[in-house]
Amino acid sequence: MRDFSYIRAASASQAGSAAQQSGAMFLAGGTTLLDLAKCGVSEPETVIDITHLSGMSGITVDTAGARIGALARMSEVADHGDIQAAFPAVSQSLSLAASAQLRNMATIGGNLLQRTRCSYFRDPGAFPACNKRNPGSGCAAIGGITRNHAVLGASEACIASYPGDLAVALVAFDAVVELDGRKVAVDDFFLAPSNTPDRETVLQRGEMITAITIPASAAAVNSTYIKVRDRQSYEFAAASAAVGLELEADGKTVRDIRVALGGVATKPWRARSVEQALIGKALDADTVEKASRLAMEGAVSHGGNHYKIELAPRVVTRAILKMGGLA
Amino acid sequence: MTRSIHIALDINGQRHELDVEPRVTLLDALREHLTLTGTKKGCDQGQCGACTCHVDGRRVLSCLTLAAQVEGRQITTIEGLAGEAGDLHPMQAAFIEHDAFQCGYCTPGQIMSAVACIREGHAGSDAEIREYMSGNLCRCGAYNSIVAAVRQAAAEAA
Amino acid sequence: MTMMEPRKHGDASDGTVGGRQSRFEGSMKVTGTATYALEYPFENLAYAVLIQSTIPAGRVLKVDIADALAIPGVLLVLTPEDDLGLTLGADWGGNKPAEGPYYPLPRDVQFNGQSIAAVVAESREQATEAARLVRVTYEESKYVANLNDPNAGEGKLMDALSSAWGDAEAALAASPVRIEAEYSTPREYHVAMEPHGLTAKWDGEQLTIWEPSQWSHGMARMYSEWFDMPYENVRIISPFIGGGFGSKGQPLAYGAVAVAAARKLGRPVKLAVTRPQNFTSYGGRAGTKQKIALGATEDGILQAIVHRGASETSVYADWPEQTGAATSILYKVENFSSQHRIVPVNSVTPGALRGPGKNPSAYGIECAIEELAYKLGMDPLELRLKNYADHDYQSGKPWSTRQLREALTKGAETFGWSRRSHAPRSMRDGKTLIGWGIGCGTFPVIRAPSEAMIRILSSGKVEVISGAIDMGQGTYTILAQSAAEVFGIPVDQVEVHLGDSRLPGSAIAGGSMLAGSIMGAVHKAAVAARDELIGLALSDANSPFRDTGANTLNFVEGRIAAPRGEAPSLTLAELMFALKREEIEVRRNTLPEGASAQEQVQAWTTMARVQGPTMGDYSMHSWCAHFAEVRVDEDFGTVRVSRMVSAFDCGRLYNPRLVESQWRGGIIMGIGQALLEEGLVDMRNGRTVNNNVGDYLVPTNSDIPDLQVISVGVPDHNASALGGKGVGEVGIVGVAPAIANAVFHATGKRIRDLPITLEKLL
Repeated sequence: MRDFSYIRAASASQAGSAAQQSGAMFLAGGTTLLDLAKCGVSEPETVIDITHLSGMSGITVDTAGARIGALARMSEVADHGDIQAAFPAVSQSLSLAASAQLRNMATIGGNLLQRTRCSYFRDPGAFPACNKRNPGSGCAAIGGITRNHAVLGASEACIASYPGDLAVALVAFDAVVELDGRKVAVDDFFLAPSNTPDRETVLQRGEMITAITIPASAAAVNSTYIKVRDRQSYEFAAASAAVGLELEADGKTVRDIRVALGGVATKPWRARSVEQALIGKALDADTVEKASRLAMEGAVSHGGNHYKIELAPRVVTRAILKMGGLA
Repeated sequence: MTRSIHIALDINGQRHELDVEPRVTLLDALREHLTLTGTKKGCDQGQCGACTCHVDGRRVLSCLTLAAQVEGRQITTIEGLAGEAGDLHPMQAAFIEHDAFQCGYCTPGQIMSAVACIREGHAGSDAEIREYMSGNLCRCGAYNSIVAAVRQAAAEAA
Repeated sequence: MTMMEPRKHGDASDGTVGGRQSRFEGSMKVTGTATYALEYPFENLAYAVLIQSTIPAGRVLKVDIADALAIPGVLLVLTPEDDLGLTLGADWGGNKPAEGPYYPLPRDVQFNGQSIAAVVAESREQATEAARLVRVTYEESKYVANLNDPNAGEGKLMDALSSAWGDAEAALAASPVRIEAEYSTPREYHVAMEPHGLTAKWDGEQLTIWEPSQWSHGMARMYSEWFDMPYENVRIISPFIGGGFGSKGQPLAYGAVAVAAARKLGRPVKLAVTRPQNFTSYGGRAGTKQKIALGATEDGILQAIVHRGASETSVYADWPEQTGAATSILYKVENFSSQHRIVPVNSVTPGALRGPGKNPSAYGIECAIEELAYKLGMDPLELRLKNYADHDYQSGKPWSTRQLREALTKGAETFGWSRRSHAPRSMRDGKTLIGWGIGCGTFPVIRAPSEAMIRILSSGKVEVISGAIDMGQGTYTILAQSAAEVFGIPVDQVEVHLGDSRLPGSAIAGGSMLAGSIMGAVHKAAVAARDELIGLALSDANSPFRDTGANTLNFVEGRIAAPRGEAPSLTLAELMFALKREEIEVRRNTLPEGASAQEQVQAWTTMARVQGPTMGDYSMHSWCAHFAEVRVDEDFGTVRVSRMVSAFDCGRLYNPRLVESQWRGGIIMGIGQALLEEGLVDMRNGRTVNNNVGDYLVPTNSDIPDLQVISVGVPDHNASALGGKGVGEVGIVGVAPAIANAVFHATGKRIRDLPITLEKLL
């Protein structure tokens, strides 16, 4: 890593103004920042440790929904009884992520901002061409080994997938990201690469996530997160789905359904086409399978990631049938 | 221009003062600056768990933690686990009894992880132990024995 | 080194050979007091960091180090421009392929990831930062990325590995039932948890190196040749290593760099190879492919095996990953033909990774035999038993011991194989397909001489002293058990000193040869020491035994007494005190009588005395049979091993507790090989893109079910003095085919290229 200065912020405003300097980065859990600094991808000149800021790590759940401070640790939220009851998909998306140690370190805000695991992005020494690191330099992944890369939301400039789990569950349930001074829906918070893959979120320089809120819903209560990967644990998703389901009184007609995908797109991917195809319909395996495939409309494969187009709808189907009591 | 900072770290109940660059990780502070080499470097990238120690009682990866970040927190390493008289922690004893290690390199991290796993309440079944210990790789393949050791220590702690 | 205090568990017999003594150095490992190579404190230490190439082939034209040198704390930047003054040495067999200078940082680039420069600084952080600022200009040339590169070519036939008897082609053509299939295994990596590295220190003409080593004496010899210095002036210290699996048996270029830097600077230098750099600093298992054709009668008697295989090697050295190694000895067949080719590619020279040759070889033949079983409509267990090799058809020699039939039948019984329904896709649990498969494994008994020293101390302690290595396989423990048994004392009265090239010579901790070898030497030395003590005790004027009329003494439960049991009875300490002796030191080796001093050094520092499995009257191997149950998600294609039973014939077990751990360790590596592990190479520049343990996947704890392991071995005194056969590598052999066969049984899909990842089953 290049040398940097370390500041421990005593207040949010001190953090914010320190962050205005060029080369300044917030340090929360450190699991992304230090990792990328070691890869030579991030080269902060100043790290601003925000983990001692107060009032940003609370977790509250009431009838309106949940409010989770950006500095709450992943493990705290995952194990929180009220989150488990009202938003099981959120809890599961956290428990299935990373490892216990990393979940103790990483914060909710930092987790949202984790960056792609694209091997080309992470190896600047061997692959200088990376539009995300260095706009205009090209994309080394295209034409390379792309088993983990995105089939949805990609562009000719960048096919790197967003690897996180929590954000997938958040986007399914219309969570809102609170910054210091404005609120942004999660779906709008993340940006698809288009021709500016270096811009991954709407965060401006010096802006800090302070909290996320998730509105309560019956679908969120009856929700799950299924994560499919090569090994049983400690690995990013090959494909994942966050699904919430609310049925009518007859127990089989869909009143509300939320579907979001992970591991297959450049940003957490809300699959509204699947939702729309199922609202008001009676749930059965065939109907669900057909609807799930709509999630892959517009999918484009590159090299070794074609399997995601086959796999992702199956994960969605499994999750929906599980929540509908049909799996 | 390297900018050293002066920090004081509370490790295993002892205060250690050191001058380090801000970029020095807790892992390197332990191993290179404080000759506390019980905590191991397996990958230095947060992917293997060998560097696991406790910060305020929670298990964390010291390779992705700056030394400066944990000033003011209580750090526990493998060296701090045994009793004052050198008597082994029940987890250490269980590891020996079940042969839960071979080369020994991942072992301090496994033990620190296991102690915290029980404290977290995630050692309620073999399946849970396996899942919650999956952040500690063991290439020698002591996994079955590690589960047995953690199961035993959890029962003793209950 | 601090004393180890073995804990007492179980009963007294644990402490003798064959007992379940818990790991001797255990308390050190669980308290963090076992010191590994990069953990020794030094005054005035400097830190070195490697720089590796980012092109697959060509030349280094220019290395711009000005910006690197400007970083505070930087002491030295070594590049191909620097003549480090080294000489080419002999390989580990003791063969010198060429004369001339050795350039550990060469101008010629032969693979992506080759070390070409190094920065040395006051701290690792400074050296790392400076390394990023070194700018290399290359001239690129043509390259071959890997075995599947269209430019790879056919490579060259390894004549010495060709094997044939009968007329395989004709017999195959005449066989009523035939199968032919091609199997492949990818590049695989050791991923020992301790990355490579070393600390080097000069004291005048003396060089001391703290480096994880599977072979202290061999590595000392190789360093001494590079640096053109007497062997005695080099010392390798390696009492603990964080895993080896075949990767830590020889010094490598980065070692030469660190030693040269230490010499230039006049300071000790520590060089840590980063985890990503580990993937190209030494070779893992080469990628392989093999075509197997089996011919059989309608009732399943094998008529012919035709095998053609190939593996990658580098463009600068030949290393075969011998795909025919197990093919020739697993079954009875009268017509056999096997050939192996090596194909040069631009990678680091492949190396020995647990079970070299045998592992991919068994993958091929054990999948093929089961494919034949399905074609015949036969139970794969029955087919294997029907073609049981009553002797080694390749060498013509009888087996020394071979309990493979017992392994198959006992394993099958324990697993419940008889409950199997034969048809693929016939067992399921909801969305989960269940399948069962078998895979047999084998690993040769390799023998080598060792020496050992025993010291009986006046305190009553017995010291076992050897340069042999414990890399987790349990050398400390079994040697303590051996000495304890000979002297009739508890294990905690024994001290074991290992891992130092200055200590008595030993075989390498590799090829599963060490335990048999060093146990033989220690036993010999211990018996000789005991006999010397008995001789003194019966003749010395001061001895309480002088007038007993006994002509020997018994050593039982910590006391020494005449065989008829009458007085006196003394402890070891009491006897030494009575004899007024501070210590008795005895050194013995297992070389033939009359070996000269030079022959002895050669025996410890080269492979010249290593004997293969058929270099005697018998064909000697360890054997195993694995029974695997897999659960495959029908929709996702994910495969999980849910149950495994493995039965082993490894002869007499010196310590069943430690052996079971070795067996399980090998099995877990086999599971990784079958389902997860694959070195990925970008064809456009030969880069190993998954050069880290987040992208190169090894099994986690939750991937592994309870592994049931059973011993069916009997003592084999042709294989070794104490009756054991190798245990460390046989466990990985046969696991991947057992799993591949189980996946076929579960899904009806035969996947022949490893790893069996989910997209292959979608």
